[in-house]
Amino acid sequence: MDHFERQLARMMHHSEQQSPFEPRHRERLRAGVRARRRARAAQAAVGSVLAVAGLGAGLFLLPHSHARDEPSAPHPRPAISPTPSPTTTPTPGMSPTPPSSTATNSAPPSGTATSQLPTPGSSSTGSEPTPADSETDTASAPPATSTANYTSEPPPGRSAPPATSSALVGPTG
Amino acid sequence: MAQARAGEFDEFVAVRWSGLLHLARLLTGGDRHRAEDLVQESLVKLWFVWSKVADEAPDAYVRKVMVRAAARSARRRWWGERPVAQLPDTAVAGDVSAVVAERSRLEAALGQLPAKQRVAVVLRYYQDLPEGQVAEALGCPLGTARSHTARGVARLRQLLADVIEPVG
Repeated sequence: MDHFERQLARMMHHSEQQSPFEPRHRERLRAGVRARRRARAAQAAVGSVLAVAGLGAGLFLLPHSHARDEPSAPHPRPAISPTPSPTTTPTPGMSPTPPSSTATNSAPPSGTATSQLPTPGSSSTGSEPTPADSETDTASAPPATSTANYTSEPPPGRSAPPATSSALVGPTG
Repeated sequence: MAQARAGEFDEFVAVRWSGLLHLARLLTGGDRHRAEDLVQESLVKLWFVWSKVADEAPDAYVRKVMVRAAARSARRRWWGERPVAQLPDTAVAGDVSAVVAERSRLEAALGQLPAKQRVAVVLRYYQDLPEGQVAEALGCPLGTARSHTARGVARLRQLLADVIEPVG
């Protein structure tokens, strides 16, 4: 520490003047404490309100978010009519059954010229009787009957068996 | 219990008030109003932690709060400082006492320094803190604090050349 630094330290120490702690200082200090306390309380209140509001909003939106996962409308019906006319020839591009859970009445491909229409008694029949039922009786026996043995026989009152049965039936026939 | 704590706090403030106000005046470059604000602000913060620091080192806590606030003022521009090339006219030695004149000259010179340099110089030469504690109070590395101190002293050498004559 050189001469200047020593003189600088001396000046800083000697320049101190006595200033008493006056009542106005005390009052101002109290006012500052009260103001800061109010500010802290306000911050805590605002924080609590925001937390409760956020929690409430989260609980309100939570059930709605589950509802979005479920389908809002029934499955669309198959693009291929379940009761094709007897004159139509099945095309190889027609898929026998889409892998859906609903009953699909598409006919499986077969080597005969006439399309194999589902019979009312078979497991792959649709619920709607068609005028072409009589024609399909003369045709070769649809392999759906074998499938009926494969799968459990639905009760007579039921109209649509599970679609997986028809999907299995098609390639084997 | 709370009354006793409040009494202790009042006693601490009454005893330390003069020294804290002088430190604040040095840290603010002689701005008396700003110095009072700085002391008040620091003491209000001390009030809320008084139960924790009363038995340890309340002086160090207040000093750190004041130093941090004074150092931040460089960014906030609280005091509206306007550095000038020439020191403003101060009290003439014949009109007031030599002590007051010297203090005014010192505060005016400190007011010319950047905030961090001023804080570093005051802590080093008025509080007599070692460089490590100056760095800790400023919240910067030791080398940075040393640089602030050296630059501040170099600037004060120029500003106070006619007050403190060099030896030999």
